[in-house]
Amino acid sequence: MQPKVVTLNVNGRRHQVVLAPNVTLLQALRDLGYTDVKNGCEKGDCGACAVLLNGKAVNSCLVLAWQAEGTEIVTNAGLGTMDNPHPLQEAFADAGAAQCGYCTPGMIIAAKALLDRNPHPTEDEIRDAISGNLCRCTGYGQIIKAVQMAAERVQKTGAGGEV
Amino acid sequence: MKYKAKPLPTVELPELRTVGKSLRRVDALGKTVGATVYAGDFTMPNMLHAKVFRSSKPSARIKQLDVTKARELPGVACVLTADDLPDGKLVTDMPGQTGQKRRKGSDAPVLAADRVRFVGEPIALVAAETQAIAECALELIEIEYELVPGVFDPLEAMKLGAPVVYEPDNIVSTWKIRKGDVEAGFAAADVIVENTFRVPFIDHAYIEPEAGVAWMNDQDVINIRVCTQVVEHFRSIAQAVGVPHNKVHVRGTLIGGGFGGKEDITVEIFLALLAKYTRRPVRLVYTREESILAHSKRHPFIITHRTGVKKNGRITAAEIEMVSDSGAYPYLSPYVLLYATVTSCGPYRVENLKVDSVSVATNNPFTSAFRGFGGAQAAVAYEQQMDEVAKTLGLDPLEVRRVNYLRTGDRNAIGQKIESAVWLEEEATRALEALGEKETVSHDAIKIGQGFATTMQSYGRIMWFHDTSRSWVGIEQDGTVVVRCGAPDLGAGQANSLCQIAAEVLGVSLEDVTFYNSDSAVTPLAGTTTATRQLYMSGNATLKAAKMVRAVLLERAAKHLKEKPEALDLANNKAFVKSDPERSLPLADLAKMCAADGMKLQHLALFTAPFTDKLDPENLKGDLFPDFTFSAHAIEVAVNTETGEIMVLKSIGCHDVGRAINPTAVEGQIQGGSAQGIGYALMEEVRVEEGVIQTPSLSEYLIPTVKDLPTTKAIILESGTGVGPFGAKGIGEPSLTPAAPAVANAVANAIGVRIHDLPLTPEKVLAALDRVRSGEG
Amino acid sequence: MLPEFNLLMPKTLPKALDMLSKGAPDVTPLAGGTNLIPDMRSGRHCPVVLMDIGGLDELRGIHQKDGDLVIGGGVTVAELLDAPLIAQHAPVLKQAAAIFANPLVRNRATVGGNLADASPAADSGPPLLVLDAEVELVSKEGARRVPLEDFFVHVRKTVCKPQELLASVRWPVPAPGSVGAFRKLGLRKAGAVSVLSAAVMVEPDGNGRLVQARIALGAVAPTPIRAHAAEDALRGQAMTPGVISEAAYLAAVATCPIDDIRGSAAYRQRVVEVLVRRLLTDVAREVN
Repeated sequence: MQPKVVTLNVNGRRHQVVLAPNVTLLQALRDLGYTDVKNGCEKGDCGACAVLLNGKAVNSCLVLAWQAEGTEIVTNAGLGTMDNPHPLQEAFADAGAAQCGYCTPGMIIAAKALLDRNPHPTEDEIRDAISGNLCRCTGYGQIIKAVQMAAERVQKTGAGGEV
Repeated sequence: MKYKAKPLPTVELPELRTVGKSLRRVDALGKTVGATVYAGDFTMPNMLHAKVFRSSKPSARIKQLDVTKARELPGVACVLTADDLPDGKLVTDMPGQTGQKRRKGSDAPVLAADRVRFVGEPIALVAAETQAIAECALELIEIEYELVPGVFDPLEAMKLGAPVVYEPDNIVSTWKIRKGDVEAGFAAADVIVENTFRVPFIDHAYIEPEAGVAWMNDQDVINIRVCTQVVEHFRSIAQAVGVPHNKVHVRGTLIGGGFGGKEDITVEIFLALLAKYTRRPVRLVYTREESILAHSKRHPFIITHRTGVKKNGRITAAEIEMVSDSGAYPYLSPYVLLYATVTSCGPYRVENLKVDSVSVATNNPFTSAFRGFGGAQAAVAYEQQMDEVAKTLGLDPLEVRRVNYLRTGDRNAIGQKIESAVWLEEEATRALEALGEKETVSHDAIKIGQGFATTMQSYGRIMWFHDTSRSWVGIEQDGTVVVRCGAPDLGAGQANSLCQIAAEVLGVSLEDVTFYNSDSAVTPLAGTTTATRQLYMSGNATLKAAKMVRAVLLERAAKHLKEKPEALDLANNKAFVKSDPERSLPLADLAKMCAADGMKLQHLALFTAPFTDKLDPENLKGDLFPDFTFSAHAIEVAVNTETGEIMVLKSIGCHDVGRAINPTAVEGQIQGGSAQGIGYALMEEVRVEEGVIQTPSLSEYLIPTVKDLPTTKAIILESGTGVGPFGAKGIGEPSLTPAAPAVANAVANAIGVRIHDLPLTPEKVLAALDRVRSGEG
Repeated sequence: MLPEFNLLMPKTLPKALDMLSKGAPDVTPLAGGTNLIPDMRSGRHCPVVLMDIGGLDELRGIHQKDGDLVIGGGVTVAELLDAPLIAQHAPVLKQAAAIFANPLVRNRATVGGNLADASPAADSGPPLLVLDAEVELVSKEGARRVPLEDFFVHVRKTVCKPQELLASVRWPVPAPGSVGAFRKLGLRKAGAVSVLSAAVMVEPDGNGRLVQARIALGAVAPTPIRAHAAEDALRGQAMTPGVISEAAYLAAVATCPIDDIRGSAAYRQRVVEVLVRRLLTDVAREVN
């Protein structure tokens, strides 16, 4: 099993890292310091590790790091910061949608993928989009509300194109 | 049946500035932008990776354990077994103050020496340079087991001749209530109704698996970064590792969900041992499968109710038997059983009551704390029993409850007087009114059902534990505020509540408050984040400390503004004259003045719960808890009578929380707690066969996704009568307690027959419908 | 950590087939990884060499060709949901795609992977069976087409040889007026392995009778299966309640489910009859 130098493009930054083939994207990201990508189950059951891969929300535990070379990877931390949060991150904070916060990064990634395709989702469409993200704390109510709030806010600010 | 909300008594709650407002929580943004660091996110230079070698047998003697090959694997720093632990003594007083006499050999060993009692029991620890090497080393550990007959059913385990899990017998704990005269009570009854209910093993399934990092510092202090509900474990950790108490420093993190599963020691002792042995930082993170295997479960219970009632529904006597499965080690079993026993008859006036409860050892996964702590299990039984009583009498289910409800001033099952508001009927009617008329369906196979439950759940710990909490509040010279309090935050907003309280008292905004929590050495010890106690205990401690700071500020401001302190107030970062707000002094300036005068701007306050004496287990009678939260939950379901599938259509939770410090946070707890309750009712079960878990991952152990439940409507009532700060009660556990029985009652209403064991799976629904069709009922 | 393996990443199909031919039987194709990676973690699968086929453009694409709908083996379940051709010509497949696993998994799981994994509960199985699909298996030696029904052999066993890749799935564009439907029953509403599933597809003759009828069932046999006796009972008939009941009964009789953690054999057999009856009834409404 030969490790090789892999270039990963994460949140707009290029990383060159030596990786064995059996390293998942989840592990590689966390080892690179992207600890906002969470490990909840490592087999695609919980969605806590979700990232955007070329704009699509995927479980990073089910992608080998080598497979992610040449793609654009976005983690929740790449969407916004404490000083400049993304509307979704702000809405989640305001709506109480983050209780323990562990499912939150993956949840926001799934919501982002939804709003990118569908800026005005119905409640059912929101439910569908986050149906692969388990939350044990909130009962999902405030999460749905947060996504609705974010959709509205983006509409108000008239942000065109990608949210 | 159309229900109208019963009017509430008038309650004058003062309008406050910060408390009572749905402010963005202090920890919210960090979590949503992914900046918050959790226990598994820490790394240290020169760090080792640990793995735990666990028993694959539920009941065996360890004939031979050979770790030589593992030790010799390049990259392995050490492999520890029972032989390597201090003094060869591995017994640790598992936390929770198992106040009942500790039984010989019944404590869980840190590492099994010669005997294993459950699948997953820890046997050896490995620390290696990489995760991969540590995993390889596990494979190289050689073990030979000699199987010993095990027992996997608590009823079997109680029988004479059953295999004994540990000496002297499998009876871990018993509690009895003997109140009034049940014989006479039953004789006076018009009808007697008897039912037995069963609830299964449940997993906490927090999204964050157990994790931590430990290292020894330059003063030989073992530092442990860990997600824990209890930083006071440093004492047990020190004892297990063989160091003085002041040489263990638990640095708790913001936790990714606890629910009682991180209340007992999980990774801490393993980490401490390895850090001490290798003198290097060590990291241990459980996989999901390991988490399900290794940590506690909710106690399965078998609960039998025998209730005597008059035609109008009034209870004349109740006889209740409870059996819980303690699993392989007691942990908190005696206390879970106590909570279940004391709430076994529900929030009702029962003058003639006989309760016998027993917790039994088996070679099943060990059981311990889980949100509700016996109160949830008891409620599944008593609220279904009440509906069965109603059905038998042909009475409306609310009416049967109404004639029995406890009222303020009444005494509960063990004679403790309820002093706070008991708004059961007000809550039930509100929840039912919100439920509205049954949904109409055109599908001939779908039946709609409605059901509700009203429950009581304590907040604050058992008073004979002599619970205390401490909080330190200080104001800086620029007018910003610091709160230091040991209270771990599980995600429910424990820390934020303390900040809102401090902000309220000191007249600053929430953004001006910083908190430090969950540190056993540096933050004042505030006790466990369990038992729905933190708002009550640490909230009151913080309130006290903040008031002490406030008093100093007002004293100095009074001198400056030439007024009496009573004439002044603090708000908007200013001290000002109430009758003439223009006359004011910025808090920053005031703080500097106080400092210049040598006045104390930081105060540590101690809050003490009432201290009582231990109750007699043979005849429970007396005061046990500081207070109770009374709750209602209403559910509407659609049941497909051809497939058995159940869909929850509506969910309403109504709780008197005394005072909501942050209403959005309270709503979040009600929605989240009830989601766990709905999961409990419909889909969650750790299936165990001959001691082996059949649901090892989140593919088999199913918790609700967003598509499995509607958003619960939360109706928050505030009586202001709680013993917490500003009249608050507690909501953490109470939010869950009524949900599962409400679902069960709704399903029974839909299909006309009751299923007596959770979860209510489609198969069980069809089987129940078959019974109806064949006339078995 | 996943077990160690070598990872090949061919950029073209011929290269991939060459690697397969040289390395067989030790080379395991890796597509979306949504089953394979968890299987490797659990130790159920210990491949020596993995070959990532995610980079093979030849395996992508959904198009219409010579009266057939053709989808590349590397097409993801999410892509099925978005494809106008699928919405138009295979709504039964779109229905299955919409409730397959969850949206995150759908973005990676491929149709080829789902079929090649051959779980008895594979949700793409029943819809593709009622569409009368064939798979195209390619190797360095050439290509062969296998009817999907013959492709599945047993639990997680197919006729695919170690040197072969599932390159595409194709089915004839259904005749105008055809109606299909799919439903699955799981223990929760998302992310649940099917306890049982069923797909139906009927082609009316325009005079109230059926020219063609297909019924396929999932999770009630070692592989997804067609219920031929049930189909025979429908063919040439009008979709009356009586005919539908008979067909549903025959479908249930065709199953041989097992008891497992998700359900008992008895429950599955009983409820599959209900599912088929309800699906046929819904479809009948649309047809009439």
